[in-house]
Amino acid sequence: MDSDAILSSSEDMHDANDVESDEEGFYSDENEVASDYNTDDDDVDDYVIEEDEDGINMIQARRPENNYIVLKELDIKERQEDDITSVSSVLSISRAASTILLRYYNWNVSEVHEAWFADEEKVRKTVGLLPGTVVQFAKPRELMCGICFEAFPRSRLKSADCGHPFCFECWEGYIRTSINDGPGCLMLRCPDPSCGAAVGQDMINIFACDDDRCKYSKYLLRSFVEDNKKTKWCPAPGCEHAVNYVGDNENYDVSCLCSYDFCWNCTEETHRPVDCNTVRLWILKNSAESENMNWILANSKPCPKCKRPIEKNQGCMHMTCSPACKFEFCWLCLGAWSDHGERTGGFYACNRYEAAKQEGVYDEAERRREMAKNSLERYTHYYERWASNQLSRQKALVDLHQMQTVNMEKLSEIQCQPESQLKFLSDAWQQIVECRRVLKWTYAYGYYLTEHENAKKQFFEYLQGEAESGLERLHQCAEKELLPFLNADGPSREFIEFHTKLAGLTAVTKSYFENLVRALENHLSDVGCHQAGSLATSSKNGTSKGKGGRGKETSRAGGSSRN
Amino acid sequence: MQASRARLFKEYKEVQREKVADPDIQLVCDDSNIFKWTALIKGPSETPFEGGIFQLAFAVPEQYPLQPPQVRFLTKIFHPNVHFKTGEICLDILKNAWSPAWTLQSVCRAIIALMAHPEPDSPLNCDSGNLLRAGDIKGYHSMARMYTRLAAMPKKG
Repeated sequence: MDSDAILSSSEDMHDANDVESDEEGFYSDENEVASDYNTDDDDVDDYVIEEDEDGINMIQARRPENNYIVLKELDIKERQEDDITSVSSVLSISRAASTILLRYYNWNVSEVHEAWFADEEKVRKTVGLLPGTVVQFAKPRELMCGICFEAFPRSRLKSADCGHPFCFECWEGYIRTSINDGPGCLMLRCPDPSCGAAVGQDMINIFACDDDRCKYSKYLLRSFVEDNKKTKWCPAPGCEHAVNYVGDNENYDVSCLCSYDFCWNCTEETHRPVDCNTVRLWILKNSAESENMNWILANSKPCPKCKRPIEKNQGCMHMTCSPACKFEFCWLCLGAWSDHGERTGGFYACNRYEAAKQEGVYDEAERRREMAKNSLERYTHYYERWASNQLSRQKALVDLHQMQTVNMEKLSEIQCQPESQLKFLSDAWQQIVECRRVLKWTYAYGYYLTEHENAKKQFFEYLQGEAESGLERLHQCAEKELLPFLNADGPSREFIEFHTKLAGLTAVTKSYFENLVRALENHLSDVGCHQAGSLATSSKNGTSKGKGGRGKETSRAGGSSRN
Repeated sequence: MQASRARLFKEYKEVQREKVADPDIQLVCDDSNIFKWTALIKGPSETPFEGGIFQLAFAVPEQYPLQPPQVRFLTKIFHPNVHFKTGEICLDILKNAWSPAWTLQSVCRAIIALMAHPEPDSPLNCDSGNLLRAGDIKGYHSMARMYTRLAAMPKKG
């Protein structure tokens, strides 16, 4: 009962509070919605029309997270066909001509209409749709093919709308060459250099072989997704779905039917609340060779003779470079070892280093080495946490799957409860997966918080710490405390307590992360200049008041265990 | 192969018939190989190439005319769109804007047009392109003229 109360209170809060946090909801919701759209085409149309006619209505009718639609290959084809049909019937032109027009205007139906009705003649000219035959021939019986220069009876010649005649064989060669040259074949024109009449799919279908026709349709389909400013392919390997983005509220997180979550804007994996630019920088940094360079700089010195970088991992200052070079030198002063002896103050106390350091000779190089080492350590700190949350999330995804496919059923048998009442388990795991993702990206965020934003940094680390410890407790509970029940022989009272605890932790963790996400999306603007710490604490307590002592307890426990 | 040979033979006959028709172009097919051609073109008047005779070499691919012929200058020429060392020509119709309706004859005509109207913005000969882009028409003319005299005009005496 207790858990129910917590659940509903948090839910109420979050419904009432703002729309923003609604978008934060689980992907499973969005998934369902997305697939609903998918299977129900009327719905899709409704949606689009509603948006056109009355944006406000739509927002009321739909929840704001429905800002994208996942399209399967068939859906893409269907939409493309629909657009072609619509343009061809409105403008009374052939489907092939309509396809050419749409492709030229990046599959934007309204743009086609606009341009066409503004200046039909100009549009026809630019895309190569001639209003009628431009070439007239006096001699009706035999004509010369413009490519092979052979004479053919008229029935053995074919031309695009312009009327320039070419024989069947030359058309076949022309079209085959063009299709094999790539997607440029979608813009094919009459072979006559002075002409420019478009050669559309109708001609392709007559003269291309099956393979090439197939290739052509593939290019056409790809063009529909790639040239359309509102559609992108799902970047997951092997996935052939596309995602049509219809929102404009800057929440670009989408979830493909293949269950890959990504940011529609930058096509990296989802990274809310961190913005695309930070993510780009971070990913670049992780892959950058420069980090290796920094490491080499911080931990190695070049051999004074052969210049190969040498890492000194232990031992004395007497270095011997690896074979071939075999140069013996002093690690401290990089001078030849043969110069060392009583003169330099003994083998193991190279005064030259100290002396030179005092004179300032080594300062510059040493300072650079030190700085590189510091910045590398800082980066490593954030990177390790980023990466371990990434790993943890992947593991949690596997566990979630295991839960949904095997364990829920098993537990349902053991605890004699219908699976519908065990939903709190998959809820918990979904929360874990989502939180790991958010937490991971907050480390990239933290890395780019500059030193002089100290108040912000403290507030951020406070929120992050709260969220992290909450999550650790939840993860621990979902992972470890469940085990005994999975191996139990029959129902137990403890399971009900476990239910209460886990659901409670789920709700608490959720609200911590909502706070964190909200704060980062505001760029920590709640932080005043001076009383950042106290402000942060009070605002924090303000929002989590509804949850009573439980939340506080969690944070305190977590806060201390964190360090 | 057969199609390209047939087409080249048609062009050959056309050239024989029209020899007088275009006095600026003289296309000759290699005696032993119909896929190798050479052409002599006259430098267009009112350009620094006027009075010069320039030799072009054609290598025709088997996919001709679906694929364009490869053409280069054998005569040295100072022109933004011709490689000074190799004689390679940067001309759209020899690359992506090729159409199978073009012939070797019309390619020659296009090259003559290119000589009269250089495209300094996509240069193969940067020195030449830079002169034009810097607006040094006089400098370009004198350089081009000098090479025309040196390489494309019969030595006097």
